[in-house]
Amino acid sequence: MPQRFVSEQVLSRPAVVMPRPISPRWCALAAGSASIAAFVLLWQLASMREATILFPGPLATIHAAVVLLREGVLSQDVLISLMRIGVGFIAGVAVGVPLGLAMGAFRPIRIFFEPYIQFFRFVPAIAWLIPAILWFGIGELSKIFLIFYTTIFLVLLNTMIGVSSVRRNQMRAAQCFGANAWQRYVWVVLPATMPYVLTGMRLAMGNSFAAVVGAELIASERGIGFLIVDSWMWLAADRMFAGMLTLGLLGVLADYLFQALSRLCARRYLMRG
Amino acid sequence: MSTGGVAAAMSWRNADFQFAPGTPLILKNFSLEIRPGEFFLLLGPSGCGKTTVMNIQAGFEQVVRGEVLADARAVRGPGRDRAVVFQDSDSLYSWLTALENVEFPLRVAGIAKRERREQAHKALRMVGLETHEHKYPSELSGGMKQRTQLARALVLDSPILLMDEPFAALDAQTRTILQDDLVRISMRTKRTILFITHDIAEAITLADRIGVMTAGPESAIKEIFEVTLPRPRRRGSPAFGELYDRIQAILADEVQRALRREDSL
Amino acid sequence: MVRQTLRQSGTLVFGYMLSLLVVLAAWQYASSRAIVPMLLPSPFNTLKVGVGLWESGQLLSDIEASVLRIAAGFAAGCAVGLPAGLLMGSFQPVRQAFEPFLHFLRFLPALAWIPAAMMWLGTGEDAKIALLAYATIFVVTLNTMAGVAAIPRNQIRAARSFGATRWQIFLLVAVPATLSYMVAGMRLAMGNCFQTVVAAELVASDSGLGFLIFSSRRFMQTEIAYVGIAVLGTIGILTDLLFQLATKRLLRQYVLQPNH
Repeated sequence: MPQRFVSEQVLSRPAVVMPRPISPRWCALAAGSASIAAFVLLWQLASMREATILFPGPLATIHAAVVLLREGVLSQDVLISLMRIGVGFIAGVAVGVPLGLAMGAFRPIRIFFEPYIQFFRFVPAIAWLIPAILWFGIGELSKIFLIFYTTIFLVLLNTMIGVSSVRRNQMRAAQCFGANAWQRYVWVVLPATMPYVLTGMRLAMGNSFAAVVGAELIASERGIGFLIVDSWMWLAADRMFAGMLTLGLLGVLADYLFQALSRLCARRYLMRG
Repeated sequence: MSTGGVAAAMSWRNADFQFAPGTPLILKNFSLEIRPGEFFLLLGPSGCGKTTVMNIQAGFEQVVRGEVLADARAVRGPGRDRAVVFQDSDSLYSWLTALENVEFPLRVAGIAKRERREQAHKALRMVGLETHEHKYPSELSGGMKQRTQLARALVLDSPILLMDEPFAALDAQTRTILQDDLVRISMRTKRTILFITHDIAEAITLADRIGVMTAGPESAIKEIFEVTLPRPRRRGSPAFGELYDRIQAILADEVQRALRREDSL
Repeated sequence: MVRQTLRQSGTLVFGYMLSLLVVLAAWQYASSRAIVPMLLPSPFNTLKVGVGLWESGQLLSDIEASVLRIAAGFAAGCAVGLPAGLLMGSFQPVRQAFEPFLHFLRFLPALAWIPAAMMWLGTGEDAKIALLAYATIFVVTLNTMAGVAAIPRNQIRAARSFGATRWQIFLLVAVPATLSYMVAGMRLAMGNCFQTVVAAELVASDSGLGFLIFSSRRFMQTEIAYVGIAVLGTIGILTDLLFQLATKRLLRQYVLQPNH
């Protein structure tokens, strides 16, 4: 006697037929462009309705950006902000990566620094602005310090995770081959950590843009963050928007370049298997 | 081998399949008739596309040419008439206990709680897992997870059961036990089973008929063997060994042909 | 087994204590050598000022103000971000429509929106809460989307073979399967909120921890800034721990059996 679990009725209910999906790439491009276009349109319409200087539309923003470019103001601001980010970033990586590696490798070092990492994770770079100004003055160094602070955290955290990601059997295999501690470290641990180091660097760069804006909001003569705040104070909303647009584009560009560069130079370290 | 009211046939007629236009054909001119109520084993070397056959029969993929039928109706998507047991137990829901996992299809079908529970209990008892029904998948061994999958696949009484190398990831002892259990269950529930494997011994133990596939790409059925050994089948018996050798010869031949084809490219 | 973990945590605690003592000692030494006391106040003075602020009630009211803002902004951000992430992860058209914005706005921090927020929402609570919500939405949406993408394909396929409708798959499979990722995202977002609240309070504020830190400039008392930083970090850690505790309790079966 065959075993039954459910009634005929249930079985006869039709199942859902899934339609065949259209080619994904096409769809993504179309949908993405469509929604961007829709957004820009809505933005323009909304700004025309509001009709105050406080809500510029896309056209006004682009116009302001072009003017700024022609005046040379925009390029100057971009370069200054980029310089601050660049120097702070390199310094942060130069300190953060070795420290992270050391922390991953030697437990005492990790225990020593860990409470501070967990603690200052919640303290943004900008909270250090006052002390930074006291130590480094209101010049470039204090802002570069904030970028350094932002970078070093993310790089440290990710590097530490990377070191612990080395698989036990990878280490054991190296031991079977007679590798000594130094060889194991350089030829197994370091390469295995690379993807995480790169991720940390990428995240740090993204966050550095935020930090530089923060620093420039308070005490600055030039820079993208300064441009945004200065425009706001003069109620030049279109210049402010132009500054924000530039900031976003800069971030996207930097991220893209970083990824392209990593793929070019460090492709093998990006493989995960 | 009776044709009970619940079992259904599966048919393939001159089917071609490729993943995307321009890519090589995985299956070419694939034809196969599976009789209602039979236990059919699809055997083939690695990479020959046997999992693809199952995915198509289940409705997860579609053929680009030809016909695939289940119970004389064209297969156009997944459905309750074709239950699936996957190779990996990752299809079990990690936030549900074994019992709740088996209840899940009934819940989707809108069955009331009390009846759901009862039916799920029955299914778990049938696969011998009733003492573990309140455990989560992460607390179950590989064999127990596959039993849970089987119970879940049985609970809707689907006329067709599709199994994709469900015992491949298990140790040999567990595999043997589960194979015997599966034979016992199949004799009680009388549904059509399509079982994929690369293990010849497993095929002979379970099957009413075995279809050997050619090596990929452009695979099709090379030869079909009727297995007339009486059940329960003894793996050490001479008849078993003789059938094993015959199938092994065909399979090895296919693997060789594939290697030669690769060399000549 | 218990003894081993106790011993391990014992060494950990000991190590932390040692580290704190060393750093405190170094700090004390450095501050005593500072040319201008304002440059680096000693830990003792910082503590003194901190106690003073606490006794005057100032510290507590600042903490309260910041925490309330974070709570409001976080709640609003999650209320939007969680469903958005689920929908974007589960339905391709939704994702393709909104993805370009996500990737662009990722580089526009809440900070950059401060002037705009003030222009439109004034200098009151609304602007700050909006900024915090903005900071929360991203992290939460991105993590939730990643969670949906991590659902094993076979779980979806199994549901399809049971005849589940699109909505059933969404509610009965996608949502529970993504829970642990959503919680991870929320935890990260909470951390972000602490960071953002300082920046948000930069702008025309008369209360809050960020305001406190910056008031140190006006009063020429650097100790205040350090007190503010210390309190900020402490509350951050406490909130994080509370978060972990609360989610472990409430979502035991989801968090304890992560979707592998």
